[in-house]
Amino acid sequence: MARITAGVASSHIPALGAASDLDKTQEDYWRPAFAGYEWTKRWEAEQRPDVVVLVYNDHASAFDMRIIPTFAIGCAEAFQPADEGWGPRPVPVVKGHPDLAWHIAQSCILDEFDMTIINEMDVDHGLTVPLTMMFGKPAEWPCRVIPLAVNVVTYPPPSGNRCWALGEAIARAVASFEEDLNVQIWGTGGMSHQLQGPRAGLINQEWDNRFIDGLVGSSDALRSIPHIEYLRETGSEGIEMVMWLIMRGALGRETRLLHRHYHVPASNTAVGHVVLEPVGDAPDVPASDTIEANSPAAQDLIS
Amino acid sequence: MTVPRDIHAYLGAFDDIPGTRVFTAKRARQGYQLNQFAMSLMKPDNRERWRADERAYLDQWPLSDDQKQAVLDRDYNRLLDLGGNIYFLSKIFSTDGKSFLLAVSTMSGMSLEDYQAMMIAGGRSPEGMRSIKEGR
Repeated sequence: MARITAGVASSHIPALGAASDLDKTQEDYWRPAFAGYEWTKRWEAEQRPDVVVLVYNDHASAFDMRIIPTFAIGCAEAFQPADEGWGPRPVPVVKGHPDLAWHIAQSCILDEFDMTIINEMDVDHGLTVPLTMMFGKPAEWPCRVIPLAVNVVTYPPPSGNRCWALGEAIARAVASFEEDLNVQIWGTGGMSHQLQGPRAGLINQEWDNRFIDGLVGSSDALRSIPHIEYLRETGSEGIEMVMWLIMRGALGRETRLLHRHYHVPASNTAVGHVVLEPVGDAPDVPASDTIEANSPAAQDLIS
Repeated sequence: MTVPRDIHAYLGAFDDIPGTRVFTAKRARQGYQLNQFAMSLMKPDNRERWRADERAYLDQWPLSDDQKQAVLDRDYNRLLDLGGNIYFLSKIFSTDGKSFLLAVSTMSGMSLEDYQAMMIAGGRSPEGMRSIKEGR
């Protein structure tokens, strides 16, 4: 059976991708930001996940304002790096895992999460920068990746509570996939940053670190943080941290901290990075209480 | 976990954050064509037509006169007020060859050098910037 073995969260700052692409990671300004990922690179090389479910937001690359899906799952065979205006990043093509992606989509829909299914899209820095930070610059990415795009641009974005619950539904979906796969879930984006208006440049280190602390252990207090608190305390784009809660929800009731890293400055955004694992053999998520998720006939249709 | 939420109170609170324009449905509606215009600059052909004659290119889009003028002026705070969203508007300053850092600094009213220095020193403190009404 497939199983979620770990969760990883990280900011997905475009300038970090550019620093890697241009081999500037050892410059004085960038070195401390990259140093916090060295542990994770070594750990990922040992873990060798088969699939990463990578939660991120598109930055006006694949989606414009014509269609704004709240939760969209990439079911394609492959996803090309997007051209964000300077040409595509020189990184490998992202290979998907359509069987698992479709399975998660079906399972989540029966679990009353109304996923948007995406069969063609390019993936921008929101997805490719975290891959760079965890895997460096390989000739091809060492695992399959299922992109899960979340709207955190047009209001309202999903609530933190909804994101946490989606993570639980993803964990249930993965656990019911028959192939033996080592799956990780990553939540990307954030931490504190504001890229617009006279308040631009806001950074709240104290709040960010408290948020990281809250991901560890058994508390689910983070799921009740309202949008307005993210906006007031962490800047308008700090709302991206709700995506970390999808990762956290998928790890179940209790997590153990494996690694954490926090650094300012890096461009306009605080660099936050954390690696967690579920306590126990598998994520201990509550059973679904939906009708279809408890219907053997409905579940037979997706297996 | 789910608590009843008053949508008016939810939206109203966004107006209480100093120096911040939240991309609500009202702004999304007002800025739809503006943001789609900005997105059109993702295509090289469109960028060429835009560079050749900005005004003529803009006139092909059903934007208000205020929106057109703010685009020509590169007045990003005004564009946010008129329904622009920074991720879409970034296509305009990218086409100009300007960085995110530079564009963001112009919105903050600081010089690029001062803004950069503030970020290197740890960024803008939230102290006094959380709520207009409560002054905290």
